[in-house]
Order: sequence, then structure tokens, then C-alpha cells
Amino acid sequence: MIKKFIALIVISVTLGILSRGAGLSFHQATAIAIFSASVMGTLFFWDFRLTFALIGISILLITKTIDLYHMIHFASLEVILFLVGMMILVGLLKDTGFFAWLVSLILRIKNLTANKFLVYISFIAAFLACAVDEVTSIVFIVAAIFEVCDYFEVEPTPFLIISVLATNIGSSGTALGNPIGILIASKSGLTFEDFIINAFPIMLVALIATIIIVKWYYRTQLAELDLKMKTLKANEMLIRLISVPPERELKISLGIFGVTLVLIALHHRLELLWNLEPNTILLTMPLISSGAVMIWKWQKARDYVEKDVEWWTLLFFMLLFAQAGALKFTGATDVLAQRLATVAAHNTAFLTGIVLWIATIGSSILDNVVLVAALIPVIQSFQSLNMNLHPLWWALLFGGCFGGNITLVGSTANIVALGILEKEKNIRMTFFQWFWIGLTVGIITTVIVWVMLLVIPWYR
Amino acid sequence: MKVGEVMTREVKSISFDATGIEALRLLQEMKISGLPVVDKENKLLGMFTEKDVLSYILPSYIEKVGRFIYKDDPKSTKKKFAELSTVKIQQLMRKDVVTTTEDTALCEVARIMLTQKARRLPVVDSNARLIGIIAREDVLRGFTQETQQA
Repeated sequence: MIKKFIALIVISVTLGILSRGAGLSFHQATAIAIFSASVMGTLFFWDFRLTFALIGISILLITKTIDLYHMIHFASLEVILFLVGMMILVGLLKDTGFFAWLVSLILRIKNLTANKFLVYISFIAAFLACAVDEVTSIVFIVAAIFEVCDYFEVEPTPFLIISVLATNIGSSGTALGNPIGILIASKSGLTFEDFIINAFPIMLVALIATIIIVKWYYRTQLAELDLKMKTLKANEMLIRLISVPPERELKISLGIFGVTLVLIALHHRLELLWNLEPNTILLTMPLISSGAVMIWKWQKARDYVEKDVEWWTLLFFMLLFAQAGALKFTGATDVLAQRLATVAAHNTAFLTGIVLWIATIGSSILDNVVLVAALIPVIQSFQSLNMNLHPLWWALLFGGCFGGNITLVGSTANIVALGILEKEKNIRMTFFQWFWIGLTVGIITTVIVWVMLLVIPWYR
Repeated sequence: MKVGEVMTREVKSISFDATGIEALRLLQEMKISGLPVVDKENKLLGMFTEKDVLSYILPSYIEKVGRFIYKDDPKSTKKKFAELSTVKIQQLMRKDVVTTTEDTALCEVARIMLTQKARRLPVVDSNARLIGIIAREDVLRGFTQETQQA
């Protein structure tokens, strides 16, 4: 613990000194040192990441690396409020039985075969991640997988890995699937429609490729499940295992969620119609819906806000965004962007590859929000170099989401799913048990993105 | 009034190496809902309650899944219940137990019970050895006696 802490201090101070030596100003070097300390804080001391973020932002303020006004500006309150609104909505959906209803739908699939199960869990995991978020989605998919695997007496680990891979891929399909989606949308001005037109098709191709890969990789386990399904015949017990009465509350909550999704999908049109700033409706829609939820369920309103909103994570995000903002404020990211552009010979196609692979490899080790928060100001700086940012944003999104599949700590969904596996089945997955399939899927899907971004004209 | 005046001194405890099913049988025999878990030197290690058994046999994600109704018993629950014959109570018990001492005021114990939502508190000596247990019922009995004496 102490060794890691000393290493963190030494590395971040060294980075600061090297930056100063490379010609950067004191404030630029300080911003780099503090941000790198926070990044390593998330890597070495995950439970204390907020501590590093709090101390880091204080140092930036005391050293006048950033001022209060810009700190608040870069904290991206609009993104935080969007996530608060979505978390309240998800709390309502959970409370009214929406997710349990989804689990029951999986358990009720008629004439279940192993291949059918594989395809269903992959698509449901991906689409649910698109509509809510990856961490919420994975819990329900894992619950369904455990019930099915318990019933057919097969090991759930391969199916759990498949669902996590699909969830991470699905989380790139819309701006709602992952905090980095809404962060990118907010900073790039990309709309929900842009995500549906540009990100969703790539996500679908990557998902299909993943299904093909895992179908081959886990062929023995799928054959075993198929055999058990034939032996145990119809899953009558699973069909009647749980029920969620289609009560009025479930219908109303589905209505609120549906209207929210539709208006989010139409936000760009509405903003044009009402002459609003870009993304105003996108960012305020969850707030309006959560406000409506709190009027409707006023007795539980405080519970939704206090228990369903992950304040610890959101506070960390705010401070991290502010620290990443300090990189932009001091001009450190402009210097980095200039050097990256020189390396890439101002070639957008080459730069797209660099951003994509940095994001993919980086997010296989780091929390993707940390990485994306750091890269966003760099990409914004490319604009001043008259470069086309369009493919770079998509490269950042897909790298940030797909990289999470490579290692077992690559994304929050992985950690949550493996935590449940260990608690429920006493199975502790080894690094390499995950790594080989994760790496295969991670590399192949990233190559798919790379090719599509370079070859298909509308991405260029 | 102090804890030592109302606590139950002959407290039944269970050894840390007992299995889940042994501990559960003991609870059922004694018609109680919880037991202190001790080591060979009678030092308190944790508390084992019926709730720990329920949270072991039911999936950990049921709270996260939200509202639903079980229409049947899943296979996993039966399997997990069968595992209680091999699982040691060390794995099941709650380790962060709030304790009290003999010379603690009754009102302080009542405050702890109310704020920590505890039904009973193990009473330990200065070496963390279990010397008794005090339940809500004992606290109320103490208050009643005190009022009658006054």
C-alpha cells in the first residue's frame, strides 16, 4: 500500500518535472502531474479515488493552475445532472419491477436451445445497455443467466463473460449506454440521432462479430448446455419461477421511461423547433422525467435521490472533469494535440487510428471515464488545427467502450458481474481466464471499428 | 442502572468452526434468532443470525433486481441450503458487531440499539471475551425496575 502510494507520488512528480523540462509552463506541468496522480489513484486505490480527486483539485486551485470559475465550468454539471436524472429513473424502473419483468421474459423463452440462449442474452444485454446503462443492465442479465444455468446445472461463467462482452459493446450504441457517451455528446455537440446513425450500426456489427467469436470459443460449453436442455426438456420451472404482475405502476413507469427515450431521441429536432441551444433537451429530459417521478412517488422521492443516485461516483466524475479541464485551461492539451498531429502528419485517418487504439488499450486498464475525460480536451484542441473531429469522437467512444472487454478490470460492468459470480458461486476468475477471450473480442471489434471509420464515407 | 445488572450471563455461544447447519439447529433448538460466535478463548468473533442464513441461501442480487414475486423455489436456493452442512459459520456470520460492557449505562445501550438497529448486544470484558448478552427485553425490564424502585 505504502509502496504503491510512493510510486504514485514519484511517477506524478516525475511527469510534472519532465513536462517542465519539455518546455511546458509551471501550470501546465502541475495540471499534468495532478491529473496523472488522480489517474493512478483510480488504478492503485480504487476505493480512495475520490480522495485523490478532492486533494488534486484543491492543489490546482491553491497553485492558481485553475480558477474557481473555470473549475465549476469544467466540472460539467450538465453531464452530472443528466446522470442524476437517469439514475432516479432507473431507480423507479427497478422499484416498479421493470427489470425483474425483463428477467422473467428471458426465463420464459420457449423451446430454449443453447444457441438461442446465447443470441438472446447477447442482444438483450446490448440493447438494455443502450437504453439504461451498462452497470444497471449487467445485474439483471447476470440474474437471468444464473437462474437458467442453475436450472440446467451448467457452469455460468462462460455465459456471464458473454453477457459482459455484449453489455460493453452495447453501451456504445447510444449516448445513454455509458457515462462516456453522454460526456462525448455534451462536449462534441453530437446528438442522439448522430449516435443512432453513426454509433448504433457499428455497435450492431461488433455485437454480431462477438456472438460469432464466443459461439466458437465456448462451443464445448454451448454443446453441454444444449445436451442438458434436451435432457431436462422444457423449462417449466423456469417459466413460472418469478412473476411481476403487470400492475398500474409498472405500466406508468414504462410510459414515463418510454416518453423520456422518445423525447431524447427527438431532442435535436425539438431544439431546432424551439430554437434552443444544442443538447438542451437531451440533457434536461431526464431531469423533467425524474421531477415527474418525484411528484408521482412523493413518498419515496427522497429514497430515489439518496439511494439510487451514486453520489460518490458522480462527485468523483465532477472533480475529474474539472482536473481534465485544467489540462485544457492551461493549454497542456493544446501542446499534446499539436505534437500528436505532427506525429500523424495532420492526417485525420492516421490520427483516428491513434485515438482509437490509445482509447482501447487505455480503457482496458483504466476507468474509461478517466481516459475519455483526459482525451476530450486533446480532441477539442485538434479543431484549432483545422482537423475534422467527426471520426475522432467515434474513435474515442468505441475505444473507450470496447477496450473495457480486454481485461477483467476493464469496465465497471466486468467488476460488478465478477463480484456477483464470486459471491454467488464462489468462483474467482483468473486474469487469463478472462484475458484470452476478452483480448480476442477486444481486438477484433476494435479492428472492425477502425475499418468502418476509415472505409465508410460518412464517418470521414 | 448498568448493563451488568440486567444482562443474561449464561449466554449460549457457538464456536467459529461450527458449520452453518449446526448453528441453525442450535438456533431452532433454543428458539432464538441469533448467537454470538467465539474462538477457543471465548473471544467474540461475530454474530450469527437467522438473517445470515437467509442472505446466504437467496441470491445476492435480489435487492438490485427490484420488485418481483417468487412463484417457486429456485434450484439454487435448495443447493445453497444443502451447502450449509459444509460452510463454516465464519463465512456466514456478521463480523462488525457492536458490543457493550458490564458497566455501561442502560440508556447508552438503548441508544445504541435504537441508532444501530440492534436487537441484542454481546457484553464483553476488557479482553474482548464474551461474558453475557443484553437484549431489548432486558433493557426495558431494567427501566421498569428502576421506575418501580423510584
